[in-house]
Amino acid sequence: MKNGWTRIDTDLLVVGGGVAGSMAAIPVLEAGLKVVICEKGRVLDHCGSIGCGVDHYLTVMDTGPEWDTPEFLIRHVPELTDHIVDMAVASRVIREMPRIFRKLESFGIDFKDKQTGDYYRLRSFGLPGTYHINFDGTDFKKQIGERVRKGKATVLMRTMVVQLLVRDNRAYGALAFNFRTGEWFAIRARAVVLAAGDVNRISKNASGMPFDSWHFPYNTGDAHAMGYRSGALLANMESVEATLTPKGFSCQGLNALVSLGAHFVNRHGERFMFKYDKKGENARRAVIADAAINEYLLGNGPIYLDCRHLPQEILDRMEATLQVDRYTLPAFYRQKGVNFREEPVEIAISELSIRRSGVYFRGSGLAVDTNGETSVEALFAAGDCATVSGGIAGAAVLGHIAGEGSVGRIRETRGALPPVDMEAAAAIRAQSDLHLARMEGMSWREFEDATRQTVTDYVGVRRTEKGLRLALETLRALAQRENALRADDLHGLMRVNEAKNIRLNAELMASASLVRRETRTGSSHLRLDYPRTDEQNWRKFVIVERGSDGPQVRTLDTNRPLSDAFARSAATV
Amino acid sequence: MADSGTVHNPIRIHPETCVRCNLCDWICPGDIIYKEEDDRETLPVIRYPDECWYCGLCQSICPTNAIEIVFPEQMIHNRTDVVSLLGKVPE
Repeated sequence: MKNGWTRIDTDLLVVGGGVAGSMAAIPVLEAGLKVVICEKGRVLDHCGSIGCGVDHYLTVMDTGPEWDTPEFLIRHVPELTDHIVDMAVASRVIREMPRIFRKLESFGIDFKDKQTGDYYRLRSFGLPGTYHINFDGTDFKKQIGERVRKGKATVLMRTMVVQLLVRDNRAYGALAFNFRTGEWFAIRARAVVLAAGDVNRISKNASGMPFDSWHFPYNTGDAHAMGYRSGALLANMESVEATLTPKGFSCQGLNALVSLGAHFVNRHGERFMFKYDKKGENARRAVIADAAINEYLLGNGPIYLDCRHLPQEILDRMEATLQVDRYTLPAFYRQKGVNFREEPVEIAISELSIRRSGVYFRGSGLAVDTNGETSVEALFAAGDCATVSGGIAGAAVLGHIAGEGSVGRIRETRGALPPVDMEAAAAIRAQSDLHLARMEGMSWREFEDATRQTVTDYVGVRRTEKGLRLALETLRALAQRENALRADDLHGLMRVNEAKNIRLNAELMASASLVRRETRTGSSHLRLDYPRTDEQNWRKFVIVERGSDGPQVRTLDTNRPLSDAFARSAATV
Repeated sequence: MADSGTVHNPIRIHPETCVRCNLCDWICPGDIIYKEEDDRETLPVIRYPDECWYCGLCQSICPTNAIEIVFPEQMIHNRTDVVSLLGKVPE
């Protein structure tokens, strides 16, 4: 096994078996084509960000009223995203929402409320309608996973993809390893979908425990990093996302709280959200996080979640919903000895992550065209690693779009794929052996801690030119130490690769933040040295790509689709 | 591996009720729990306790309720000054 490779040829390779990756696989399997999925988890039914369950699904349903039509929501997307959005891709995603929603229902997913037998739709996060279906999605991912397994996809579990195979700006596969067995795979594919999720473990949080994160801590920007190294364009990388969580436990649940009427109060007992947005607690997540940050900086912390005014039936629903999103939250409250129904609970800002900056339809990641294809031909991206992201609905819809786009690419691929780049393959193996052989050297934990400290101090929610330059210097110095990283075992080798990807994403974030000389969407991109939103000059995307000497940054007006910056000809549907 | 002598173990497995079935290893999204397959004697080992997400999937799938999730002190009674997480302004 030492230098051997297991070789696999397939039509589609999917990196990441969460909602986006699984939904991408489905149309390709339906077309009778071969699919290989590489996934770091062990079981497809429970992997990805919502493998434990989910409580809301955002969709237009076209049930009759104007607000429930795709065109109505599309009209509101510019204001929801503060005008930094790829409208071509966002519009396609929204128009496809009803079709994909019905397809999910056809899989047996029950979005209806068990008591009323109807959809329980709620308004939250500044959206101009009750687009969020509140439902028991404990088995949501299981039903999608079953569909993929029935389609007979080959699923390589506990397998991390470490490098894409790209020649002449066209993807044709990837190299991967199983971190339980040490088996290495050289996979050639006619199309590749990157669906490895968002970037977590990138900044510090209250508990000081890096894996205590609001979103899935095993999503470490692997897709962003591999795409970047292969020449793909990324956008919106300057934006960060945070949420409010019970202090000490970064967990999901804000949507349930705000849509069911919870209040946030500061230490003076003041319900502060209306100072920041006329929608109060129903403002966009970015505004809620920004308001909480401001309250802390003004000395008005701690802040509290207050549900005491809510009727019993709403509290019952809230309690039931919260444990669907995070199964262990009731145990946390129990061990802490608090009852959120009867007393205020201290809350805090979560760690930061790179995802969609607290707004829907503006993702931070790989730029895609309306087929979900990146600037690299036959390389697709969907879910939280793509530039249009919208929770599980965004992942499901863009994932399916990318799958359908892949079918087109696969069918038009003529002739044999290029041979596996054995030079690159040998280099990856040599590098991995080096990490595994080191008895001393830096651990991935120390390396990640250094990244997190730098991001927290200078790339997080209060940015300055000086701070960002300091951060870039530190992050680049850290990159020089990558070869000295020590992996104690195969599991550690996976974490070493994740740590490198997290650092690279931090560097991309700092590089993009330095260029955007304005503040936009509050603390999502707050430049203390440029505190105003500059509509005159900055209705622009910041695009990052690999240059000869590190990340290169350029801009593009937001009245054009990101695919206008691609070197290849892109879809315009 | 983290030094298990100093690291909080979030996943407590009760040896009397655990049936050594392997499901917790199988479902863990973080590759944290290791159980020797086809061995009815050995208990699952929490090999990387500091990498736990506290998602509770292992607890939810355990057929005999042998797993308890225990939060550490710094999560239950957190004393971090939130402002220290909000960035520094360089001189």
